[in-house]
Amino acid sequence: MGNKVAVLMRKAPYGSVYTAEGFRSIMGIGVFEMDISVVFVDDGVYALVKGQDPAELDMKPLGDGFPMLPDFDVTKFYVHDRSLSERGVTPDDLVMDVEIVDDEGVARVLRSCGVVLPF
Amino acid sequence: MKIGVLVLEGPYQHQAADTAYHFIKAALARGHEISGIFLYTDGVNNANGYIKPPGERNIAERFSELGAQGIDVVACTACARFRGFRRDMVAENVRLSGLGALSEYLKDADRFVTFGD
Repeated sequence: MGNKVAVLMRKAPYGSVYTAEGFRSIMGIGVFEMDISVVFVDDGVYALVKGQDPAELDMKPLGDGFPMLPDFDVTKFYVHDRSLSERGVTPDDLVMDVEIVDDEGVARVLRSCGVVLPF
Repeated sequence: MKIGVLVLEGPYQHQAADTAYHFIKAALARGHEISGIFLYTDGVNNANGYIKPPGERNIAERFSELGAQGIDVVACTACARFRGFRRDMVAENVRLSGLGALSEYLKDADRFVTFGD
């Protein structure tokens, strides 16, 4: 299948373990020479919004984690444009530079990867 | 073809583990090969050897049975620790290991299928 993997973030960053574990899986499989694309759709886009403060939920802010990934050679980040606009979020609200993609762009990224891991 | 499987939900609360099992049985019946089954997050609870459901399907035994057929069934070590899952609780024919096992399945499989919410 090769080593190209898309990790797909679909869910809100807090409320379930999915996005946090998606992040941990990137750290975990990234060390095994995987070529990882991280794709944010639906409520998954909230994981990149600036100013997260989930301390009262006893959680750590995921918005602090994703910008560290380029230091681990994970550099491809895609955010779905309509998922942002439907939530009133703009690219300026995000914690890092990402590529903004439309429906076709999301499909193209997922197609280009041998494996999609949906979280 | 070779198929890898990831399970992200635990037993009885969610259908993911049941569907994964039936998918794997169907794939094997069609002559496909399973490169590995990775039980991740609450999915590790599917490998609890102490599961004894009165009058119901035993989900842990199902994964144990797949392991007995020679399929590599791995429960995530870190997730197990987070859930108070001791090594002696692991069902037969299932082993604890890390995300390196998942990476191997990802590289090895022709198709990779995730069962979760």
